[in-house]
Amino acid sequence: MTLDPALLARLGPLQVRARKVMEGVLTGLHQSPVHGQSVEFAEHKEYAPGDEIKHIDWRAYAKLDKYYVKRFEMETNLRALLVVDGSGSMAYGRGAMTKLQYGAVCAGALAYLLVRQGDQVGLIVAGDADAGSTERLPSGVRSFLPFAASTGHVQEVLRRLDAAVGRGPTDLSGALDFAAEKAGRRGMVVVLSDLFDPTERSLPALKMLRGRRHDVLLLHLLDREEIDFPFDDPTRFLSMEDERQIDAQPRQIRESYLQELRRFLEDTRRELTRADVDYVQIPTDRAPDRVLLELLARREGSA
Amino acid sequence: MGRLVFAHPAYLWGLLALSLPILVHLFNRRRPRPLAFGAIEFVLRSQQRRVRRLRLRQILLLALRCLLIAGVALALSRPSIEPRGAQASVARGPQATALVVDASLSMRYRRGSQTLFGRARSEALAALERLGPDEPATVALCAGNPAPLPAPGFDRVAVRNVLEDAKPTYLGSDLTGCLAAAARALGESPVAGKRIVAFTDLAAHSLRLDAPPPLVPPPPGAPPGTQPVRPNVVLVDAAQGSELPNAAVVATAVQPAASLGARGYDVIATVANHSAAAIAGLPVALRIGQQTLAKGFVDVPAHGTAKKTLGAVLPPGTVAGRVEIARAEGEGLDEDDAQEFTVEVPRDLRVLVVDGAPSALRTRDEAFFVEAALAPARTGGRVAPTVLDAEAAINAPLDGYDVILLLDVIAPPKAFSEKLRALVSHRGVGLFISLGDHVEPDAYNDSLGDLLPRPLHLIKTAADPSGKADARGADQAARFGVVEWTHPLFRVFSAADREGLLGARTFKYALLRPDPSGGSRALLSYDDGAPALVEGQHGQGRVLLYTSTVSHAWTDWPVRVSFLPVLQQSVSWLAGSLEERAPLPSQVGNERTVVAPQGTRIAAVIGPGGSPLPLRREKASPQAQDSVSVPAPQPGLYRVQLQPLGGAVRDEPALGFVTRLDPKESDLRRVDEAELKAQLGGAGSAQVASSAQAAEGARGTPLWGSLLLLGVLALLGEGALTRR
Repeated sequence: MTLDPALLARLGPLQVRARKVMEGVLTGLHQSPVHGQSVEFAEHKEYAPGDEIKHIDWRAYAKLDKYYVKRFEMETNLRALLVVDGSGSMAYGRGAMTKLQYGAVCAGALAYLLVRQGDQVGLIVAGDADAGSTERLPSGVRSFLPFAASTGHVQEVLRRLDAAVGRGPTDLSGALDFAAEKAGRRGMVVVLSDLFDPTERSLPALKMLRGRRHDVLLLHLLDREEIDFPFDDPTRFLSMEDERQIDAQPRQIRESYLQELRRFLEDTRRELTRADVDYVQIPTDRAPDRVLLELLARREGSA
Repeated sequence: MGRLVFAHPAYLWGLLALSLPILVHLFNRRRPRPLAFGAIEFVLRSQQRRVRRLRLRQILLLALRCLLIAGVALALSRPSIEPRGAQASVARGPQATALVVDASLSMRYRRGSQTLFGRARSEALAALERLGPDEPATVALCAGNPAPLPAPGFDRVAVRNVLEDAKPTYLGSDLTGCLAAAARALGESPVAGKRIVAFTDLAAHSLRLDAPPPLVPPPPGAPPGTQPVRPNVVLVDAAQGSELPNAAVVATAVQPAASLGARGYDVIATVANHSAAAIAGLPVALRIGQQTLAKGFVDVPAHGTAKKTLGAVLPPGTVAGRVEIARAEGEGLDEDDAQEFTVEVPRDLRVLVVDGAPSALRTRDEAFFVEAALAPARTGGRVAPTVLDAEAAINAPLDGYDVILLLDVIAPPKAFSEKLRALVSHRGVGLFISLGDHVEPDAYNDSLGDLLPRPLHLIKTAADPSGKADARGADQAARFGVVEWTHPLFRVFSAADREGLLGARTFKYALLRPDPSGGSRALLSYDDGAPALVEGQHGQGRVLLYTSTVSHAWTDWPVRVSFLPVLQQSVSWLAGSLEERAPLPSQVGNERTVVAPQGTRIAAVIGPGGSPLPLRREKASPQAQDSVSVPAPQPGLYRVQLQPLGGAVRDEPALGFVTRLDPKESDLRRVDEAELKAQLGGAGSAQVASSAQAAEGARGTPLWGSLLLLGVLALLGEGALTRR
């Protein structure tokens, strides 16, 4: 079964949508992608205060009379930070879902999947700060949720995603800097954005993240109308992030627009690929579960 | 540069439609639907790349649409550029138009394969086609006296037919009068604009620069006090501004030339050269029928005339001839290169001289001086005298003589008198009676009776004829006192020669009784008042009575020089040949009256083309002579055919006449255009152009064609731009 965006949009709250997507992904996977919970022994380590008591190898204690703690692969579990672009342009989408909504579904599903396999998940919603927010966050970060791996945490992630509204200018670089700071050791950073950033600082920030040895995955969200530019009538195009506007005859500028867009996408893909950033371009009219499934399958294959 | 004028200015309101594309342009700018768009950055970049081109395109589109509307609106208003200085004397817009085509002789001038008239007619037809549907038109051919024009109307077919059937005439023209007539006709049209378009050669002779300009009278029903308006006058120059050199035979005179013999004549042709270059060696020929009798050459100065005399011996009777010049150029006016003439060459006269006092001594013979005067050497052989004595004459046949002279004849017997009376009265034979010693007045009165202009009374002796040599006798002799110098008998005497006649002395002469009928006239009288020479008419014949002798028995006149011409003239006059003069030529276009001799009627008058002309009879009473008036539209010889009562129709050469062209028409010198315009009311209402279209161009270079083309181009451009 494929969850196309129109159907998904009718499913109600984000939790339900994200869960459905996750289930769809899981159904599609013949083998559990979860490795964190494997119990493969890695090594013994002499017990030190602070270690989990449940990990003390009592057999070794019986033999050696020393406390040794078993260390498993599980302990090398992922810390995944989801960075969702909450700028104004992400609110675009005249179809079933806006790019932000689509991104939220994808991020929610990923959070489910990650937590389900024991990984820790954090969330950053990039964008200007909420007016009534008491959190002290740096510029470009509207909302931050630290890493955790509990189911309740996932609910919180979903709640935050659901509350995200696309507005204000894009300042993805600020959010990514903040992510680099919070991600700590090598982790995974999943960025969901349209990269419509007039400051052009997003790509350097992404490359910087990758430079810090994080596994960076960019889900580049684009609306179908942004890809095809199907307008005919004279249109006054209004910027969703600032006051800019322009009157244009779409028929007259379509060719030129498509050229500009193609060049932007190719430049972006080339630069990020060169920087070893995992780049996936996702039109928001595609079924999110299929997208995630393909993504996971591809990463599985490359792992 | 001139100023812009519009034939239909109301259409200029159409320019308001210019607001439409402007509104559409502005509306299009405001109409775009707003759309909050995420990828506006790329729209911006695209738009920036194209914005300059787009703006240019939009401005171009707006301009093309405005041009389309403005072009159509302006074209409908029919704008034209009027030359500087020109101004309309009447409202623009439709104009009642009178087309005046000069059809005078000078328009027959040939240039290349076309005459000026042919070109003028083509121009007039083209001008008629160009008239607007709301412009009434009328047409007139200008030749001869100006005639009233029909009122302008919309029956184009009728006007076109008049133009297509028009032919040039041989008449002169009064273009000034024709323009005035056209202006009067325009007054009958209610259309405000008035225009006269005249197609002419602009020859100075057809235009009177001192005449008032043509004025259109107010239309019927106009309020009192309405002033006449000045029409627009366009003179289309059929000669297209070029000079029209021409040579012509403008006059022909015929006079006897004694050096060429009895019937020798000099034909004097006057040749005019109406050009700026002198003509040398222009061939001139004299023709009678198909025969060329004389040829010569003449040099004619520029803008001058020259006379050429061509001598020829002509046959007796009425002779119709023609003088021709032969021009080398292919162009010019052919019709005036020849001129016809007629001349009456006196016929030979047979004269019977009845000698009443013959003498063996020649000088004493009564007929001696008469014979000498009528000798062939003196009359050129025209007179053939036969001298008989009285007895022989009484028995001789008298038929065939034109004149009979009774010189000092004893009163003839009654039979002879009756024969004479019949000849004189019915055959028109002339009778000359002179007196002498054989004449007994009473017997004469009895014998000749009413043949004598006045009865004889008695013989008066003024002085002794035998003593005429002495001075006293000479003083007492009678002299001629009163002479009818204007009579044909004495017309030959110049003022200097008259003394010779008045010096003659008469010693003896007859006195006459009063004339009971009053039909006689004394042509010559003595100084005592007694008549010396009396004329009388008897039936068809004439009688002259000389009251003295034609020998030197009673007078010394016969030995004087003045006797000779008087006797010769008397014989001619009695034979009627002095009056046998060809009728004077008349001018083409003038009606000619022809009077038939008593007892005949005019059957036909044949024109130069060989066809009979329409006759208008003017016979007032059955007794009056037949008289007809005929038109003479062509130059040349007109023959007259007579029909005697109960007889057959015959040609009467003596009544034939010649018509000649108006010599003014041969001079095609152009009128001064500036003066002409001034006469017609100035450049504001008059202009001269080489073609009607050029005139329209000068009056208003039409712009609507270009404007329409501009509009179409704008439409195509707009279509091409909007499709892209």
